[in-house]
Amino acid sequence: MSLAPAVPTSTTSAATDCICELQGLGVRRGEGRWLVRGLNVRLARGRMVAVVGPSGAGKSSLLSVMTGALQPAEGRVLYCHGHEGASGSGCAGPSIPPGDFHQRMGIVFQNFLLSENLPVLTNVMCGRLGRHTWWRTFFGFPRADMNDAMRFLCEMELGRHAWSRVRDVSGGEQQRVAIARALCREPDIYLADEPVAHLDWPLARRVMARLRREATEHGRTVVAVMHDPALVEEFADDVLEMNRDDAAGWTWRPVKGARP
Amino acid sequence: MQPAQRPPWLQRLANPLNLVALAFVLMVLASLPVLEGSGRQLDHWGNLTRFLGRFFPPDFSDWRHILVALGETVQIATMATLFAFVLSVPLAVAASQNMAPRPVVLCMRFILNCIRTVPSLVWALIAVSAVGSNALAGVIGLTFYGMGYLGKFFSDAFESVNADNVRALRAMGAGRWQAFQYGLWPHARPLIWSHTLWMLEYNVRAASIIGYVGAGGLGLLLHAYQEYGQWDRVCALLIFVLAVVIVLDAVGEWLRARVTS
Repeated sequence: MSLAPAVPTSTTSAATDCICELQGLGVRRGEGRWLVRGLNVRLARGRMVAVVGPSGAGKSSLLSVMTGALQPAEGRVLYCHGHEGASGSGCAGPSIPPGDFHQRMGIVFQNFLLSENLPVLTNVMCGRLGRHTWWRTFFGFPRADMNDAMRFLCEMELGRHAWSRVRDVSGGEQQRVAIARALCREPDIYLADEPVAHLDWPLARRVMARLRREATEHGRTVVAVMHDPALVEEFADDVLEMNRDDAAGWTWRPVKGARP
Repeated sequence: MQPAQRPPWLQRLANPLNLVALAFVLMVLASLPVLEGSGRQLDHWGNLTRFLGRFFPPDFSDWRHILVALGETVQIATMATLFAFVLSVPLAVAASQNMAPRPVVLCMRFILNCIRTVPSLVWALIAVSAVGSNALAGVIGLTFYGMGYLGKFFSDAFESVNADNVRALRAMGAGRWQAFQYGLWPHARPLIWSHTLWMLEYNVRAASIIGYVGAGGLGLLLHAYQEYGQWDRVCALLIFVLAVVIVLDAVGEWLRARVTS
């Protein structure tokens, strides 16, 4: 049994600034064992949520369900456009399935999924494809996108690799290219699968601090699968801990020293 | 009850690769009769040397005509390769399992198979019947023929790319064409160039023949030389074609080394 309340939420405020709700979510590995069951969580804007748990607990599968790549066995994931409608801040409640929310998602895939034959900078700009029609991007991206992409690359300390092909840079650098691509989308929610797994500790801290800024300064939600407890304690607001042996044994807790 | 244990040789046979190999061996045995020829006692070697002897020495006296026809042949090959390339990209997308729905893929593959079944000479004949006996017929004929091959090659190239890249871009908000252009095309590009260059080289060789049925280029000359038994001139003509093929091969190798590195 879960020790968590029926609907834990990552904030104390009302449902109006909620961005994503997992309703009675159950995920199975194929037709096999349950990875998670009865997951009820409401994610608020501007919060950083760490998904933790042992290997094989289903963290990546949960993220795949949230991106819409994987269908849940039961329950559903719903998203919510925040700053729309006449009432200013509100939606009546989350109602959008993941498949219709791709324009506002920034995804960092575990295996990056970059276009390896293209330059680093082009890969980052690919985060902006959704903003343009295909004929606008047919011969390249607008100058403004290139400037922004370059800025994000420099923040990831990759400025000097901008014109290298992705296949020619190291694994840790590719990971930061993937993060820069997600940043370039300027999305409402980040879904990052182990975004700092290939980085050394000081660099991992700097990258996490950058993602933290997305939440604190821009009110964007960051959901990240993480392994390092120290990084979780330092940067996350809330922790969703998954249990490998008991699918319904997930827990949701705020980080001890959580920021106000 | 347990099924009887099959002998080891039978178990080894129950593997698709070995079955295909066995089928091929049987086909070879069944095909041996074609090596028999006419069955009459002829002086094969004598015939061959007498005929090939008429090729030498090559007679380059008609070089002006040969050069003009060679130019037309290269022109035909170039245009046909361009048109085949442009037309086969959308066909290949529709024939790729990782991009198009299954029924479309099956339908497209059937069409490509049909196009490939018809030899280039027959495509040229069809084109001559439509637009008359000129170089345009050659272009049309070779375009169709090339489409069948490039469509097949390109769809294989597209299928060899991991489609997760495309799905990733789609999940990040990119449209279908954008995901294709930025997620798939860069990976398939080296193969695409390689196949297109091969097609150009093939088209130069094919364009030297299709003149036989009136579709322009060297074939017309070749036909005339054959009619008058001027085999030394045929030899000169073949040397010209060889030169072009060698040049294309060198350019292709040079370019391949740069796009695939």
